[in-house]
Amino acid sequence: MELDYLATVLLSSLSSASILLIATIGLAVVFGLMGVINLAHGEFLMIGAYAALTATQYGIPFVIAIPIAIAVTMTIGAVVEVLIIRRLYGRLFDTMLATWGLSIAFYQLAVLIFGTVTPGIGMPQFNLRIGNYSLAGYPLLMIAVAAVATVFVYVLMTRTVYGMKARAAIQMPEMARAIGIESARVNTLTFAIGCGLAGFAGAVLLPIVPATPSMGFAFVIKAFLTVVVAGPVTLTGSALTAVGLGGGASVTASFLTSVAGDAFFFLITAFLLWLYPLGITAKWRTKM
Amino acid sequence: MNLSEKLYQRAGLIFPILATGGALAAASFIDPYLAYVATSWVIFGLLGLSLDLVWGRGGLLSLGQTAFYGLGGYFGSIVAINMAPLTGNTLLWSLPAGAAFGATSAAALGAIIFLARMGPLQATILSYTFTLLLWSLTQSFTATVGQAVVGGDNGLSNIPGVVVGFGQGAEALGPVEVFVTVVIVSAATYFLCWWLMRGTFGRVIDCIRIDAQKAELLGYDIRKYQIANFSLAGAIAGLAGAMFAGWANYLNPSIFSVQEALLVPIYVLVGGLGTLAGAFVGAFAIGGLSFYLGGGAVGGQTTLILGIVLILLVLFLKNGLVGAMGELWRRTLPDPNAAARDAGAVSIDPEVLEGILVEAAQQAGPAKRLATVDLYKRFGGVIPVNKISRTFEPGRPYSLIGPNGAGKSSYLKACVGIYMPEAGSVTVGQTDATNAPIFERVHQGVGVKNQKPQIFGELTVVENLSIAAYARTGDKPAAAGISRQILAMLGFERQAKVQASALSHGQQQWLDIGMVLCLAPRVVLLDEPAAGMTNEETRELSALVRTLARHTTVIVVEHDMEFVRTLEGHVTVLHQGQVFAEGDIAALRADDRVLDIYLGRREHV
Amino acid sequence: MFRIVNATGGYGKTVIIRDVSIAVDKAEIVALLGRNGVGKSTLMRFAMALIPALSGHVEIDGRNAPEAPAKRAKAGVGYVPQGRYVFPRMTVTENIGVAAETNGHSGRLAVETALREFPMLRPKADDLAGGLSGGQQQVLALARALATKPKILLLDEPTEGVQPSIIDEMAGILKRINRERGVAILVAEQDLDFCLSIATRAYVMEKGSVQLETDRESLRTDKKLQQQLLGV
Repeated sequence: MELDYLATVLLSSLSSASILLIATIGLAVVFGLMGVINLAHGEFLMIGAYAALTATQYGIPFVIAIPIAIAVTMTIGAVVEVLIIRRLYGRLFDTMLATWGLSIAFYQLAVLIFGTVTPGIGMPQFNLRIGNYSLAGYPLLMIAVAAVATVFVYVLMTRTVYGMKARAAIQMPEMARAIGIESARVNTLTFAIGCGLAGFAGAVLLPIVPATPSMGFAFVIKAFLTVVVAGPVTLTGSALTAVGLGGGASVTASFLTSVAGDAFFFLITAFLLWLYPLGITAKWRTKM
Repeated sequence: MNLSEKLYQRAGLIFPILATGGALAAASFIDPYLAYVATSWVIFGLLGLSLDLVWGRGGLLSLGQTAFYGLGGYFGSIVAINMAPLTGNTLLWSLPAGAAFGATSAAALGAIIFLARMGPLQATILSYTFTLLLWSLTQSFTATVGQAVVGGDNGLSNIPGVVVGFGQGAEALGPVEVFVTVVIVSAATYFLCWWLMRGTFGRVIDCIRIDAQKAELLGYDIRKYQIANFSLAGAIAGLAGAMFAGWANYLNPSIFSVQEALLVPIYVLVGGLGTLAGAFVGAFAIGGLSFYLGGGAVGGQTTLILGIVLILLVLFLKNGLVGAMGELWRRTLPDPNAAARDAGAVSIDPEVLEGILVEAAQQAGPAKRLATVDLYKRFGGVIPVNKISRTFEPGRPYSLIGPNGAGKSSYLKACVGIYMPEAGSVTVGQTDATNAPIFERVHQGVGVKNQKPQIFGELTVVENLSIAAYARTGDKPAAAGISRQILAMLGFERQAKVQASALSHGQQQWLDIGMVLCLAPRVVLLDEPAAGMTNEETRELSALVRTLARHTTVIVVEHDMEFVRTLEGHVTVLHQGQVFAEGDIAALRADDRVLDIYLGRREHV
Repeated sequence: MFRIVNATGGYGKTVIIRDVSIAVDKAEIVALLGRNGVGKSTLMRFAMALIPALSGHVEIDGRNAPEAPAKRAKAGVGYVPQGRYVFPRMTVTENIGVAAETNGHSGRLAVETALREFPMLRPKADDLAGGLSGGQQQVLALARALATKPKILLLDEPTEGVQPSIIDEMAGILKRINRERGVAILVAEQDLDFCLSIATRAYVMEKGSVQLETDRESLRTDKKLQQQLLGV
């Protein structure tokens, strides 16, 4: 096998893994910090994609459409937290079912508003040549975006007062209140940030994954498994499992078939759960 | 008992019979197209029933039911395609094959989940992953088995319809007859489940859901029950899948899809979790809603409404339609727990107790001693049990005392197997039990009462006792006899039908002690049995413990020093995970070192 | 200064404390004694509004204290729970910092003060709190409560499972803080020596209510009272 082909496969696999990571971070924040399984995460991603798409259709540059998408999803996320999630903290399976209901409601709303087929936006055209092969540049850029997003969330959660409050409020809710933290308000913000990250993912991936009402389903399953396998050290764990599972699946898919890639993903997930019933990071002694 | 109460008691039998009769009667006049669509609702209800068994009763939200459903469908169809030409009849092949395959795959997955003692989230995720794995694998899985062609994405076609006649001339049934057949099969399955879950098997499954540890402390190997229940559910899902295939004449991988998997919990929730019949109500409600909306003015917005309904259900109607109706009905009935309020103080006749204990010794053998050698348990930097060697013999009670955090409860838990020790050994009688799981130690004669009353609150008082007695005897009439005896000894006859959760804290402690006595234990471990009891009850308990100690080995962990004094037994003081002092209470009371560790004084330590 | 008036409360339907009234004056150290399970912790949680009041209320400086725990913390109640609930996946510095910042004080300054006051935390400053030993966690929980600059400090069994040398150190620090900053302290304890070394007054609880109020001297000398505390 030629070296340039191998490099191409590795780069594109890393890019697939990064795309998975971008789609996962928001879920990691919400599940890891709040213990809420947000099955509507994929739909927040979809809302972000449509928000960005609509903004560009009004002539707003793509770069500015991204923050708009974040603002829209954060707002909706905050409303959802106040109306639904807040009543269900500590009831893992109820949050799962309620957000599943939310997910199908959002999906249907998107069908009603946007229809099932929507125009994509063109992918920024730049390419990377490796030997005899040429790779589209934008998906490769996602490797950097994933890295930046991970670092951003890490810094937000570990270096800011909000981040400390958010972690305190979720690690020991009662004790957090006893030192003056308004846990409810902090939790609303954390959930909104998780949704905002989904919106960011939807917007930034728009050139690669066109906006459709059902795009959420495709992402949420793998993102969700990634986070559960990651365990309590959510962010680092998710980055690791996204690269391992997503990258591994992508490499498998390049050499075999896309189905083999998916099978790889699910089999390894089951295997890891069997080995580490509480997630691979259950015994780690690090913060995020 | 008036008519309404009688009806309520048997609602799970009477209303489904009425519904089945109604459906069969309706078959004579309904529109064939409606019959065709309604058949699928019945099948979905059956699929929901399989989830309700594992979720509502077993306590595990399985997202793998559609996997067993799909596998049963595929496998049953492949068998039917090949074999049906021999007999004409198709159900004879597809239904048993589908059920068997569903049961087998569920048993395999269940073994992984339950033998590994996975947490609830991990178990749910693993079952979900199993479904997703099938979804992606079946997309491209192609195989030809005899006449059956499994074509990946293209699915499996040419599945024979429902044929009940035999021979070459037998013809596929029309939609209305298919409806009737499916209703009959589903009703039969439902009544089987109803009967099974109403009996001892269902009671044990309920107990595992309510308090798995207590179920194991009674001596049940809970993993076997969980796997059996999961396999049963898998069989029902497989059966439903085989019927679905015969109804649709076609299967494709979308049967394993995410949407399909998540629809099943909705049926169960809408109908009412844990009610069994609710799954059918839910499937008909959702199916009917879609049917109505699909043709009505708001056409095509079923999904939106479904989503909102699900959110509202989770937030406001946790018990679903059947549960909510049951609740309304219950309000009109006299309160079955009223008798809990007029329960008198427990007063135990020593002679009755003596009789029970003698009888227990005849059945279960002589008292056994319990011994630990260098028993050691640590949690991170804390060592609650630090090389404790003690032998406990029958005769007079042993008390373990010591300040907070001395390791008393941890020592007891290590003896029982709730904590697995890192080093040292535990011997029950002559048998080494160091690495035995909890239920095996219980079989060897260990009976445990933990600090908090561990009772099955949703079950009645008498059910609590008989489930404990059944764990030992494995025989229903014998268990009923033993539980009646204990019930009478505790003076709870009038409270027999009261829900255990309605009892006061002290009464719950007595009930828990009664459950332990039902096990006829040869070694009895009691962790703070007097907590939450009145002075009078504490005196009764003291008498009971002294009598018990004449027939078995008794070890009591207690904070209440007055209680320990009245036991007139041997006292061991634990401190920082080690034996600190021993003797009788008068000597220890005068011992300044013991006062020191209790009061935190340091002059003498 | 700080008063609990007619406190009645518990968990669910179970009433654990009944009609308990306790007062702590400005800059006073008061002990709450009693055996396991007499309701000391429940009273502390009542004081912090962590359990709903069936009846009774809490006053700070003669005014009714707010009902939400977060607001009560901001009104000047510092709480060190039994079992030292530090935030396990946060560092020592973060545990202290977040308490200070939440109440509008500089986190950096609070950490500096805490490390000066509790030198044993200095080498552990960047370690996760969950990995500290029991005694260190207890000191950290105390440092965290002090970082909120409370008027009254509620300590629930601060010596439980802590080695004697640290207990002595803790007693010294509490006395100094009380003297220098005028922080009032209510300490629920089973450790009699510890209480005798810091508190001037004590309430003895029995079965969910206050049995008697006594002073340091009678606690020290009355052997009968001591045996009663032991429960024999």
